[in-house]
Amino acid sequence: MTALVALLALPLAGALAAVVLPHGAVRGMVPALSVAMLAATAVLVAGLSAQAPTRLKLGQWPPPVGIVLEVDGLAAALIAMTALVMTAAALAALRSEQPAAAGARAAFGFWPLMLLLWAALNAVFVSRDLFNLYVGLELLSLASVGLVAIGGKPEALAAAMRYMLFALVGSLLYLAGVVLVYAAHGTLDIGLLADRTPAKPDALALALMTAGLMAKTALFPFHVWLPPAHGSAPAPASAMLSALVPKASFVILLRLWFEAMPDRAQDGALVLLAVLGTAAVIWGSLRALLQTRLKLVVAYSTVAQIGYLFLVFPLAGGGSAEMPWSAGAWTGVLFLALAHGLAKAAMFLAVGQWMAVTGSDRLDAMRGLATAMPMTSFAFALAAVTLVGLPPSGGFTGKYLLMTSAFAAGQWMWALVLAGGGLLAAAYLYRPLAILFARADAPGPATLPTRGMQAIPLCLAGAAIALGIASETPFELLSIGRPAAAEDGS
Amino acid sequence: MTLIAGPLLPLAALVWPLLLAGLSVLPAVRHNAIRLLPLAPLPGLWLALSGVDGVTSAPDLLLGVTLALEPGGRILLGMTAVLWCIAGLAAQPMARRPNAALFAGFWCLTLAGNLGVFLARDVATFYVAFAAVSLTSWFLIVHDRTAEAFRAGRVYIVIAILGEVALLLGLILGAQAAGSLAIAEVAAAIETPAMGLLVAGFGIKAGLVPLHVWLPLAHPAAPVPGSAVLSGAIVKAGLIGLLLFLPPVSALGPILTGLGLAGAFGAAVWGLTQANPKAVLAYSTVSQMGLMVMLVAAGGATREAVPYFAMHHGLAKGALFLLVGVALISRTRWQRALCLVLGTVTAASVAGAPLTGGALSKAAVKQGLEPWASHLLSLSSVFTGLLLAWFMFRLARLEPSGTGPGWTARFLLPALLAALALLAPWALWQDWTGLEQGYPAKADSLRDAFWPVAVVVVLAPFLARWPMPTQPPGDVLSALVRLGRRIASARPRPPGKIAPQFRLPARQIAPSALEAAFGRWSNAGTVLLLLIPLILVLLLV
Amino acid sequence: MTALLPLLLLLTSLVPAAISFFLAQDSYGLRNALNLGGALLKAGLIVAMLFAVAGGAVYETTIPLAPGLVLLLKIDALALLFVSLSAALWLLTTIYAIAYFGTKPQQSRFFGFFSLCVFATTGIALSGSLISFFIFFELLTLSTWPLVSHKQDAASLRAARSYLLYALPCSTLLLVAIVWLESATGPVLFDETPDLDALDRSSQQAIFALFIVGVGMKAAIVPLHGWLPSAMAAPAPVSALLHAVAVVKAGAFGVVRVVYDVFGVARVTDLGVGMPLAVLASATILWGSIRALQQTEIKKRLAYSTVSQVSCIVLGAALASPYAVIGGLAHLVHQGLMKITLFFCAGIYDERAGVRDIAGLDGLGWRMPWTSACFSLGALGMIGLPPLAGFVTKIYLGIGALQAEAAWVLAVLGASTLLNAAYFLPLLARLWFREAAPDARGDERVPALVVPAVVAALAALGAGLLAASPLSPLGWATLITEREYLR
Repeated sequence: MTALVALLALPLAGALAAVVLPHGAVRGMVPALSVAMLAATAVLVAGLSAQAPTRLKLGQWPPPVGIVLEVDGLAAALIAMTALVMTAAALAALRSEQPAAAGARAAFGFWPLMLLLWAALNAVFVSRDLFNLYVGLELLSLASVGLVAIGGKPEALAAAMRYMLFALVGSLLYLAGVVLVYAAHGTLDIGLLADRTPAKPDALALALMTAGLMAKTALFPFHVWLPPAHGSAPAPASAMLSALVPKASFVILLRLWFEAMPDRAQDGALVLLAVLGTAAVIWGSLRALLQTRLKLVVAYSTVAQIGYLFLVFPLAGGGSAEMPWSAGAWTGVLFLALAHGLAKAAMFLAVGQWMAVTGSDRLDAMRGLATAMPMTSFAFALAAVTLVGLPPSGGFTGKYLLMTSAFAAGQWMWALVLAGGGLLAAAYLYRPLAILFARADAPGPATLPTRGMQAIPLCLAGAAIALGIASETPFELLSIGRPAAAEDGS
Repeated sequence: MTLIAGPLLPLAALVWPLLLAGLSVLPAVRHNAIRLLPLAPLPGLWLALSGVDGVTSAPDLLLGVTLALEPGGRILLGMTAVLWCIAGLAAQPMARRPNAALFAGFWCLTLAGNLGVFLARDVATFYVAFAAVSLTSWFLIVHDRTAEAFRAGRVYIVIAILGEVALLLGLILGAQAAGSLAIAEVAAAIETPAMGLLVAGFGIKAGLVPLHVWLPLAHPAAPVPGSAVLSGAIVKAGLIGLLLFLPPVSALGPILTGLGLAGAFGAAVWGLTQANPKAVLAYSTVSQMGLMVMLVAAGGATREAVPYFAMHHGLAKGALFLLVGVALISRTRWQRALCLVLGTVTAASVAGAPLTGGALSKAAVKQGLEPWASHLLSLSSVFTGLLLAWFMFRLARLEPSGTGPGWTARFLLPALLAALALLAPWALWQDWTGLEQGYPAKADSLRDAFWPVAVVVVLAPFLARWPMPTQPPGDVLSALVRLGRRIASARPRPPGKIAPQFRLPARQIAPSALEAAFGRWSNAGTVLLLLIPLILVLLLV
Repeated sequence: MTALLPLLLLLTSLVPAAISFFLAQDSYGLRNALNLGGALLKAGLIVAMLFAVAGGAVYETTIPLAPGLVLLLKIDALALLFVSLSAALWLLTTIYAIAYFGTKPQQSRFFGFFSLCVFATTGIALSGSLISFFIFFELLTLSTWPLVSHKQDAASLRAARSYLLYALPCSTLLLVAIVWLESATGPVLFDETPDLDALDRSSQQAIFALFIVGVGMKAAIVPLHGWLPSAMAAPAPVSALLHAVAVVKAGAFGVVRVVYDVFGVARVTDLGVGMPLAVLASATILWGSIRALQQTEIKKRLAYSTVSQVSCIVLGAALASPYAVIGGLAHLVHQGLMKITLFFCAGIYDERAGVRDIAGLDGLGWRMPWTSACFSLGALGMIGLPPLAGFVTKIYLGIGALQAEAAWVLAVLGASTLLNAAYFLPLLARLWFREAAPDARGDERVPALVVPAVVAALAALGAGLLAASPLSPLGWATLITEREYLR
């Protein structure tokens, strides 16, 4: 209980403090806060019982009057991943001079926005109320747009602007759906909605909310805001934005389709989601292949990886929900989400270090950097292994589970998407790797990041790999409180 | 687990030359390696002469080595050991030449293989031995490193390897049919196609027409001692193969008879076109081996006596080759005269002049031979006699090309071989034919043996007066050589792409214009607005 | 303790790999000691296990990953065959590599990935389940890439790229095959043939084809062999390891596993997929040899020879008769011994004489007698001349083909022998019988380069000479076949 409260309150308090306190004190506070958050996460995960999710009723009032927070395996795993990524990004931001170099305003803005983002993410993961989710989502968008714009360069501002517009439209559509639901059922609690008597406007509400969340998750063809936004933010910010933010709106989609209105999930709509996901995999990968800036390669890779997540809908939803393979699909997709978060953060942090050294994120500027910065390069390579889905890595475990369930369900085309997507990922990640490992023409850079600094992305990438090697613990964690719709049907 | 069972001597006979081969590489021995050569066949000789009997097996070696000696193998083993021993002595003057150690090493390897084919009783060992004698003898052929030697060597190696392959495939087929690796069982179970492959393999070694093309090139190209063992002993590897594997009644019998006869007569005629005495002898070998193949195919008592016939041929042919070497250093009239006398006597024996070893060997195989075949055998003696008469003419015209000390000693070696060729058949006559000792001296026998010699004596002067036009050695070869060249020489290729370098047409599939279109507000809004009703419809169906 | 043995075997390579990465370039002593120590320790462990496994012992370790994903390590006779080959040749290659690299740069990276590669190979050998096999198979792909691109020049990078271009799509298909299969049968363990009847016949055939493409790429089966010759750009020790132990062997070993432990001989016969595979392997044998004839670079010629020779193993597995299996398995070891000899020698020619092209070999025999003698032995063995190891394999494969009623294979074996002779003998003739160019150099002053070649060549000779003894590769292959496949 306390841990859950701490996870929500601590970053909020920290964000307020960061506004008030002098810069030096903030730099001192952030590591302490991160440690506290990690500790709270550990307590939360350890305290999670295998049988039932942890519920927290605010003010002890039951829904629909009171507000319920619930930590199931999905929430706990994402909170843990968030804590890891946030801590790593914070350490990287502390050590690099990037925010300060961008001016006092940037240094001033970065920490409050980052902590706000953290609080918003945790709130979204544990909320069981559609309106609370809306609030969390808005907070999240606000902080994200701020982080994109923080560099202050014209292209960053333009990217932030575009991001904000998409986010706004998405939020509005989502809100419209929420209003419809409330009008029909008088409650927004997910648990109560699951037991509701179906009503006419449900379908429209679900359609509106889904469309809005798709725009916010940057699912193809609404992905266009993502690459410029993630590409122009400072590297630690990009790491958070790419690894975590799309997962929040995706989690809401999961809550809607699997927990609130599983009865509404028709096969055609589920397939549509997966088809869009497939398109995202293909389009994002091909675009990544065409980029000449490393950050854009990594950002487009996020577009592609988000596409995988949507394959869960036909495999675990609708008619598949009762089938034995749905559990594998559900767990597999979450494995993919977790592995992608860790690996993508590692990549952005690695790119940030190279940019600090070479002053550019152009691919040809990276030639031969592997010799000078082997640890960072190795981290990038490990992250690539996860994203491609090669064993042993979290990405592989997720892919394996999803593919098995796709074959078991007889929906082998989704398995082919996973397989083909892996190849495309290999293709677009091979380019930067080959350039990194090529022989350098010029002598290496004079100043290099410290070993400790280089170790940060390595730890994240290592975690993504470890997710695959020791996958039994996360697997059990993810099974806790698995929605009925994705329950093992056997 | 037994390492070796049975008498040790057969194994020692094979291991000893291998040891010497290894020894000859050592720096301390290298310069005197040639001195070891006469020692190499001694255990083999002892084995042949002593009564050591029984089966030796070394189950861990190769695929389980089994060695044994049967009468045919024993007589051939003895002949081979003697010939290698004397040829080893004849090789002594080579000790100071370059690459002598290499020559010595491969000499010993070839010898081990040559003895091995007579001893082996399982197909794996037989194959190993056959390959050893076949392939390592390449080094004996190219030893002089002249262009001619290399050409002969190349032809030889290509054909020898073809033979190896045929042999291997035949043995595999046989072993599979028999379900065993024992030669006796393989021979009992073998079917005609497999036997065909084996015949090809053995035929190549034995100089069976038309697989003989390498022989007239290779045998003359080797140094004289090498030629002697090649023509006298090594060709017998093919013969023992046929004796071991060919079933008594075989569909291949008539074919072998035909090919054997073609070789026996054709090679004898073609040999008359050769200028080099060694080439003449090589054609004589082809001719004689053809005869022996024909005799093997005849079966019955004739086939039983073929080793006896082969022994005589091996010794006599060895003597003639060594004699060529002696003639090359014979400068005085006496020396040359002695050479010619010895040559004539030996040649007469090969042609089967009465009371010679040759006459005995022919008489032995004629037992059980059908009349027409018996007449053909006698007729072949005429051809052999003419060919060897031609050899004597060429030998007499040979220009001495060098001098060497110890002419007497070197002359004694072919003399010794010739003496053995003349006398050994007498000593073994009763054992091998079961006939009385005086049979060859009977009038019938004498007449049979006499008339071909008489014909030769009559015709030979005409041959000397009107010789056949000279031809280079090798007859149906030129086409084969061209083929062999093409196989053996690598054609350089222009450096090009090895692996296709595939590039994904990403720009065509995902054009930037489309990406930009996704980014336009109006488009994005339209898609979004269309998507909502689409999802709605899908949710409602 | 016995349950830990498989893990220990893996750790003997993983630990040196992990530590090597963090060593400075100039800590030669420590790095060499680590790698040699690991290799020796592993060899020792294997010798200790050899007799126990011959007596029927099986060591097993299970590491659960997720439900349905179990990492199962198991040492049975077949695993031990491959592991002992890789351990023995790893030891030799380590010695060779230490001498080869001397004081060249980037050694920590090299030895790190080198040991990682051996780790992956060991893992492949020990894998007791399909998914473990796949995990290590992919790890091998990844750890080989830095080795191929080690020189970091354009050719190496192109070769490395081409390697991945083949490897990744094929392993993706392999994954598809595994997932497809396991979605019907549950996790597949090698010691019990899974029941595939839940799948229809054409699905089974499709899965088999996918498997063969997946593992066949590493075994360089035509037309998936293009990466192998260009991977010659790698340093000599890498080529030696790649061709003799690691990558191509892993592929061939994979084919054996797929045919015998995943599908089982009976089902392969029933599905009618064994013969097409045998035909494919035969085509590879011939095509590789023909291409080898056309090469003028020594290593390229050897590479195409590998393409051809490795398919002999595949052929043995595909024919699936007892003798063919024995021959194929024995060839796994035989080819490794002979090929590593050849690559060691090719590396020595390059290093000590600067010779890469066949034309440069003229007269080198007398200048570098030990190397050239080893090279000759290796080449003759490849041709299949007795009593070297190659001929044993040929006899067994030939008899096996007849048992499988595929007599046409004999023609393939014969043609392959001829072609092998045609591309190896001219090399030997050049080595020993041509005059050396006046400016030719070449010496053998680095014994650590020559000794591994000599040891490997003698082993190849011994494997043929003592083929019938129970501890020879052939004897061991017979044991495996009797124990595993003739039940």
